[in-house]
Amino acid sequence: MPTARTKRRWLTAGLGVLPALGLGVALLVAWQAPDDQPASEAGETAGAEEGATSQPIQFPHDTHAGQFQIDCQYCHFSAERSVDAGIPPVATCMGCHQVVPGRTDPEEVAKIRGYHDSGTPIPWRRIYKVSDHVNFPHFRHVAADISCQTCHGQVQEMGVLETVAPEAGNLKMGWCVSCHLERGASRDCTVCHY
Amino acid sequence: MSDGFGRRDFLKVLGAGGTGAAVAGCSTQQVERLIPYVTPPEEITPGVATWYATTCGECSGGCGVRVRTREGRAVMIEGNPDHPVSKGGVCSRGVSALQGLYDPDRISAPMRAANGGFEPVSWEDALDLLAERLGTGGRSLFLTGPKGPTEGLLLNRLADALGGRRVVHDPLDDSALRRATQIAFGVDALPRYEIGEADFLVSFGADFLDTWLSPVRFGADFASMHGVSEGHKGRFVFVGSRLSLTGQNADEWIPARTGSEAQVALAVAGELVRRGEDAGPYTALVSNTDLESAAEAAGVEVAALSALADRFAEGNGLALGPGLAGHHAGATAANLAVLILNAVAGAVGRTMHVDATPDGEASSYGDLVQAVADMDAGAYGVAVVSGTNPAYSLPPAAGFADAFAKVPFKVAFATAPDETTALADLVLPDAHPLESWGDAAPSPGTYSVRQPVMRPIPLFDSRAMSDVLLDAASRIGHDFGAATFHDYLRTANRNWLAEQGEEAGIVGDPDALWRELLRSGSVSHADTSLKVDALRPPETAVGFDAPSFQGEGDLTLLVYPSPRFGDGRHANRPWLQELPDPVSKIMWHSWAELHPNTADRLDLRSGDVVRVASGEGEVELPLWVYPGVREDVVAVAMGGGHTVYGEFARTFATDAGVNPMTLLPASADAESTSLALVSTRVSVTPTGEWRRLASTEGSHDQDDRNVARATALSALGHGPGGAASADGTDGTNEQAAEHADEHADAEQHGGGHGGQRRELQEGGGFVPVPTEGRAEDFPLPGSDFGEYGDDHPRWAMAIDLDRCTGCGACVTACQAENNVPWVGETEALNGREMHWLRLERYYETVDASHAGPLDVRILPMLCQHCNNAPCEPVCPVFAAYHTPDGLNAQAYNRCVGTRYCANNCPYKVRVFNWYGYTELNIPEPMNWQFNPDVTVRDNGVMEKCTFCVQRIRDAGGRAAVEGREVRDGEVYPACQSVCGADAIAFGNVRDQSSQVAAAAHDERSYRVLDELINTQPAVHYLKKVTFHDVDEGGH
Repeated sequence: MPTARTKRRWLTAGLGVLPALGLGVALLVAWQAPDDQPASEAGETAGAEEGATSQPIQFPHDTHAGQFQIDCQYCHFSAERSVDAGIPPVATCMGCHQVVPGRTDPEEVAKIRGYHDSGTPIPWRRIYKVSDHVNFPHFRHVAADISCQTCHGQVQEMGVLETVAPEAGNLKMGWCVSCHLERGASRDCTVCHY
Repeated sequence: MSDGFGRRDFLKVLGAGGTGAAVAGCSTQQVERLIPYVTPPEEITPGVATWYATTCGECSGGCGVRVRTREGRAVMIEGNPDHPVSKGGVCSRGVSALQGLYDPDRISAPMRAANGGFEPVSWEDALDLLAERLGTGGRSLFLTGPKGPTEGLLLNRLADALGGRRVVHDPLDDSALRRATQIAFGVDALPRYEIGEADFLVSFGADFLDTWLSPVRFGADFASMHGVSEGHKGRFVFVGSRLSLTGQNADEWIPARTGSEAQVALAVAGELVRRGEDAGPYTALVSNTDLESAAEAAGVEVAALSALADRFAEGNGLALGPGLAGHHAGATAANLAVLILNAVAGAVGRTMHVDATPDGEASSYGDLVQAVADMDAGAYGVAVVSGTNPAYSLPPAAGFADAFAKVPFKVAFATAPDETTALADLVLPDAHPLESWGDAAPSPGTYSVRQPVMRPIPLFDSRAMSDVLLDAASRIGHDFGAATFHDYLRTANRNWLAEQGEEAGIVGDPDALWRELLRSGSVSHADTSLKVDALRPPETAVGFDAPSFQGEGDLTLLVYPSPRFGDGRHANRPWLQELPDPVSKIMWHSWAELHPNTADRLDLRSGDVVRVASGEGEVELPLWVYPGVREDVVAVAMGGGHTVYGEFARTFATDAGVNPMTLLPASADAESTSLALVSTRVSVTPTGEWRRLASTEGSHDQDDRNVARATALSALGHGPGGAASADGTDGTNEQAAEHADEHADAEQHGGGHGGQRRELQEGGGFVPVPTEGRAEDFPLPGSDFGEYGDDHPRWAMAIDLDRCTGCGACVTACQAENNVPWVGETEALNGREMHWLRLERYYETVDASHAGPLDVRILPMLCQHCNNAPCEPVCPVFAAYHTPDGLNAQAYNRCVGTRYCANNCPYKVRVFNWYGYTELNIPEPMNWQFNPDVTVRDNGVMEKCTFCVQRIRDAGGRAAVEGREVRDGEVYPACQSVCGADAIAFGNVRDQSSQVAAAAHDERSYRVLDELINTQPAVHYLKKVTFHDVDEGGH
């Protein structure tokens, strides 16, 4: 009898945690094989332990998107053409940091080089996640001229992202629907759920 | 929804499927990681599918497929419409290659026999050992299944270099036909058939839609020949003692006795010669025949055979067969007789072609018998086995296992353990066809390439056999000019271009041509081979007498390849195990087929467990009474009864079935040396036990419901046009929508939930209509609320029952695309199978007692996406509702599992997930195949066909971004993507130029049960067309 459990292992919330349920939808549950993990390049996820509660690299969005005004899609390269916005490969970081040592936190930049030289992906902690039964196509929202900040908040003013921005309404469905209502977008269930 | 504890929160806590939630800050929370690439592969965009064109490796048909990959994993296999062989089709077995790829039973490391078991060894040690033995271990035997031309060439060269011998063995190969072609035309090749070009088709038992030669290609060609077009259709007559899937598609059945094929074919040829046709060197032979004695031998009426001759005389007839159903002691004679009939009927050079060049990779049972004898005599020091499983697929009487054991060093290359690897000394994990390079030359003028669609799965430390052999050979000083098989293939390709490219009309930069080949999957070039179209006199005397069968008993045993498992090589795939057999509709276990009269005579009924005994052995299996077999036969499919072959069949079934090969003597047709599959008589005796058959066949009789309709060919052109009732955009519906709006307004003023309801309705929700239940009130205004304004498409499907052959590829494709789990035999017995699409099969006219019209109806049944859907108003939580573009949607995260909808569905197309089958049944890494675009449903949730809404939304989204409408044909559901017969059309029925609108307006169009209960389905069926008159009935 096959015993291996499948990737979507939902935890059943007990009655005792009811009051907190409102917060919970967006965040994840036990998840053995993230969709973004390439089959053949998963490699070792070294460093997964060290950043259990914080990001493995203290990546300052305010420096990159704010101070240097790097376009969001320079790093989140597939937002315009894919359901997924895309997490930059280590090679993208190295594109600049090959020559930019980092003025404020050179030791953090050095970590990137470490990951790059050892061929290890950076195990970023996931902050934004809609439930598995929700399909959120980034490309459609980009095409509709919804700015990234509408859902992700003023990222260009934030340091290290640790929590979902308050603008995101905890990523609850009511928040999605209110925007769809306001903009006259479809509110048919199968636009997101299938 | 008010703040605080709302309806949705309540439902979540109750654990309604798919709506669990984790809590921020809770100590049990695990952090999800986003793992980016270090260096991104150029061709992969996260969230966007990458497609690869490649060649299916599941049988030797050489079909082209397109494999959809997401983030580097293969998730779906579809037909490649640009491929000249498969023409956009792929069969269930081809789709299930994904389950072979992600099979948890795959061998995970090289293994060496030790202490009665196996112990893992490193690749380096394994390669050293292999090289050493190949170099110094004595003569080598390479026993393989048929390989692509380049890999076959490499293996032949390797065998030659090592002074060894290569033997090709494929139990499904038609070696008797090959031998007969050699006798009749002097070429060691299989003929090629252009079924699509014929007007009249006869199969002498050849299961060309099931397993014979190239079933996907034949399926497409058959649909174009047999499907009605502009008032014409080709006629198909099946001659044989068992109606296979192929037989069920016939217009007439001549239930001729097995073994009489040669007499029947020669007698018909003789009749044509008497009418002035020419049989060349065989004129004397065929003139000596007469229809009466042939009819006597076949046990059928003379009139049936003379009608057959009449049809051939009308011209452009083609005879096929007898295929594996005629693999008896007279197999070559039977094939030769059919070839002679084709020559007499003028099919040779027209619809049947014989190429003067031998095709590659001919399988030979005779060579295998010789190899077994040589192994037994100690002639081989090393045996390398790959791609074939003789320890399972040969009759035990052939003595393979004993002889194999005498070889000092046995190497098996395999993806998963089987009966033959269990006997080996060294087992090497082979790469799956989806992970490796290869090629195929399915017909002259077509070259098809196989490329890896993903990197080898890291869980299985596999390497492609050809790479390993090249490596091992180089270690003992044999250089084939390439370090890897990819290099070897490229070199072979370049050499071909240099030597034959110009003649074949392919010139250009080899690298650019290669890239184009990888993009399209195949290349068509000028067919430079010479054709043979004249019969030549036989060099040897071939006897055409009926073969005799061994053994006692009054029933002849028919062993036939399973349309699902072939010779048994696909038995470890749960999709195929749970795919109802196209003929019996039985899942998971084996069965024996007997005619109702024979069953009555033996006092047996369906489900009785019987003992089938021959002189060689006996098996016990349940009986299935089938009017589609002659009274003097019992039929058992190959493929069951594996003793070593993965866990799936055994885990989810009550038993692994039976292997009918254990009943066969190892006798062969002397002329072709092909194994006789029909060679013995058997006795059938009851064991006194009974078991329920795990069948999806609710009834084989559609009674007077007339759900699977037909119309006579002669009645076409006179019937009423289907347009007025079928287009779904007529005035009535518009009015209904207006009524609905009025009701909705009234509701809004009612207060209470009115605001929410109004909001729901604006988004396309269901509108309840007040009624006192008077009959004349129905249909209720607004009940067909799916008809909205013109700003939305109206998705609809049309299924042509005249083209559908009932092969079941759509069922497997649907399962693959939509993450539909399998449930196992016990749950299937409870009626809990989860298929979103099923093929209903009804007998109208099936009579084995004499020749005559045959009428078996096949009805693909899926969610009908009713405009006026009975499931929608009964859902208490609005989980079942209608979308603005006409889909009957199911919001999984709303569903609380009341099952009211399923109870109210007249089509029984909604399925309920009772036990969380996905989690229970689907082990790692088989879940890697899941389609990331489709929610994986949990237990307690109702689900059903969505018209592949994920594809509709994706195409719609891309069209919106590009500021255009979705083009016709841009959205195609999974079932359509594999249908080589082109039986399914999908699109926007509002677009009058769309294919589906044209089909919906066809005079054959009807909608199941619509007249009876006014459900206004979005699925239009096109009636099957028969040559005989049918009672169209209707309501």
